Amino acid sequence: MKKKKTAGWYALFTLPLIFIFSLVVVIPFLIGIGYSFFSWDGLPLNPKIFVGFENYVNLFSDSRFMTSAGHTVLFTIFAIILINILGLAFALMVTSKLRVKNAARAMLFMPYLIGGLILGYIWKFIFTDAFQAIGEATGLTGIFFNWLLNPRFALVALVIVSTWQMAGYIMIIYITGIMGIPDDVIEAAQVDGAGFWQTLFRIKFPLIMPSFTICLFMTLSNCFKIFDVNLSLTGGGPSNATEMFAMNIYNEIFSLNNFGYGQAKAIVFFLVVAVITMVQVSITKKREVEMQ
Amino acid sequence: MKLKKVTSVLLAAAMTASMVLAGCGNSSSGETKKAEDKTEAAKETEAPKADKVETEAAKTQSGDDVESAKKIILFQSKVEIIDQLEELAEAYEDETGVEVEVWGTTGDDYFQQLKTKLANNQGPTVFSLAPGAESVQMTSYLADLSDISFADKIAEGMGNEIDGKLVGIPYTAEGFGLVYNKSLYDPSKVTDTDSLIKYLEEQKAADINGLGLSSESYFLIGHILNTPFALQENPVEFVQKLGAGEVKMADTPEFQEFAKLYAAIRDNCVNPLEQTYDKEIGDFATGKSATIHQGNWAAGMFADYEMDFEMGLAPLPLAGNDKLAVSVPTAWYVNSQATPEEQKAGKEFLEWLYTSETGTDYLMNKFGFIPVVDGMENENMDVLSQDVSKYIADGKTITWPMNEWPAGSVDVYLVPVAQEFFTTDMTPEDFLAKLDEAWAQASK
Repeated sequence: MKKKKTAGWYALFTLPLIFIFSLVVVIPFLIGIGYSFFSWDGLPLNPKIFVGFENYVNLFSDSRFMTSAGHTVLFTIFAIILINILGLAFALMVTSKLRVKNAARAMLFMPYLIGGLILGYIWKFIFTDAFQAIGEATGLTGIFFNWLLNPRFALVALVIVSTWQMAGYIMIIYITGIMGIPDDVIEAAQVDGAGFWQTLFRIKFPLIMPSFTICLFMTLSNCFKIFDVNLSLTGGGPSNATEMFAMNIYNEIFSLNNFGYGQAKAIVFFLVVAVITMVQVSITKKREVEMQ
Repeated sequence: MKLKKVTSVLLAAAMTASMVLAGCGNSSSGETKKAEDKTEAAKETEAPKADKVETEAAKTQSGDDVESAKKIILFQSKVEIIDQLEELAEAYEDETGVEVEVWGTTGDDYFQQLKTKLANNQGPTVFSLAPGAESVQMTSYLADLSDISFADKIAEGMGNEIDGKLVGIPYTAEGFGLVYNKSLYDPSKVTDTDSLIKYLEEQKAADINGLGLSSESYFLIGHILNTPFALQENPVEFVQKLGAGEVKMADTPEFQEFAKLYAAIRDNCVNPLEQTYDKEIGDFATGKSATIHQGNWAAGMFADYEMDFEMGLAPLPLAGNDKLAVSVPTAWYVNSQATPEEQKAGKEFLEWLYTSETGTDYLMNKFGFIPVVDGMENENMDVLSQDVSKYIADGKTITWPMNEWPAGSVDVYLVPVAQEFFTTDMTPEDFLAKLDEAWAQASK
């Protein structure tokens, strides 16, 4: 009797979710896998030609797709490092005895509330017009020139803008971790004579390991999938030097009308992101368990 | 503990899955799925009416006595005329009692929006497309308009015909070339590539931008690259041969001259990648640029400036070219997937637009179109449009083979090459080789 009752509750809360999840995620995903075996331009009245695994085979000789994969990996590595270091530094700063900590928290979090597209356009102005103006005024044209016209600097610009956007959000997660550390542990460490760095590395870091897991996961998957900032800041240029995975897929489907081929790319993209993030989560999870 | 670990990994996997799915191209497959659902739902709701519909359908096939619908939906890409179009819709309702709903667009993603709407069976009754690659791709959605009354009055080559059937009614003619400042540039003296390059060098010495381009894809390379294509004996065939790899741009004289000119622009003019359309227009209007590569569509942009010189539109003198690139940028189409009633109403609307007094008044005076149907005249054209009609009247026009280029090729393949050219010291020969390479990929 009792068991039946809990099963009912269980169903009440999970079934609607399962229904929605399968309707908007699982089913379209399966249909998407199906489309990836066709050569099709996305219009129902136009012919779908079954090509088997040809889309997947072509993908590996698609040099542009591979280059965009390289850019994405490069971008992701730099962005993850920068976002997490800054996010953590901000978190430590606003949990210390800083007077303006509440105002600082709000201001650091604010960029995350601005949409990526708008952010991209704002920074586009900064990197082109404002940088040039500063360069002309100060004579430091070695640093202040139009960054978006230089393939390397455009990628750096992309890293800077996404860091600016994400760091505040990551900070919030680290703050919750740091606030969760019991005061007595810290006090005990101080009584034992531990300095700032010792407390940080020996006490705080091990105890906020779960936050590391979440933050690394969030930044990793978000950076891999970056699209909005990419579109508005550089549009993939100059000469494709900043075309990321998601943008390459978007172009394939919506500009070149290769719906099936683009779909195949999207599936491969999904597998790559899923495998990498799962490896990351399992590694950091392991460390969590060991240290606790 | 073990269980907790497993569940957390699974949870993470599920989150990744949902995020990736939400983030990337899969959303489009979701939409298609929705479309299918809708179609089925629509079929189901139609089912009870089926008996009635059958008799009506029989009538449709036997003759033209279908009643036209009381409402049509209009969706088109020319953002400049949206306000006037809405006025026109009201005027049409006043005169005929048929409601016209005008859907807005931002312009850039019009074609994608249209495709999604048509794929969802929520398409508009009347819509616009660029005749050429776009209309060929959409062929199965285009109704036959051959029976429209003014069909034989459309200027030669301006109506969009596919498989011998008229499907598209042209909006207007548009022409592009060099918009020039009459006090700084004299088209009669600059007649070929070499004299143009020399002119650019002279202007640089005088601290004036000789030829302005801007960073938007068509203003950067799309339009200007159209000229060497159009100068080929048979441009459409040339596009096909180029796609098949039978000819190369690098071996074609007109393209070699084009690359030389492009290099001269890089060496002597403002870097186009640092220009936007607005800035390009502003520089020209204030006398900082002697010429810009633009078309008569730009005339409206000059309304904000008080210019102390006269301007005109001249051909780009590449390889001795003395003709303006003129064609139909957009045409009206009727959705063949709409109900017969709606299609009929759509045709009646076009009929009214091109034959009634109010309709033609809007086309000529409010939209400022260049006449493409016999018997229409426009007396209040802007200066650039006047030049375009002059060149049309003299028969000095070349076509727009760029409408036959592979879909999306300008944005995805040609722009990156141009960007690389303007940011490095690439030689004109390397530039053509890279364009050939990009073209081969675009045509795959």
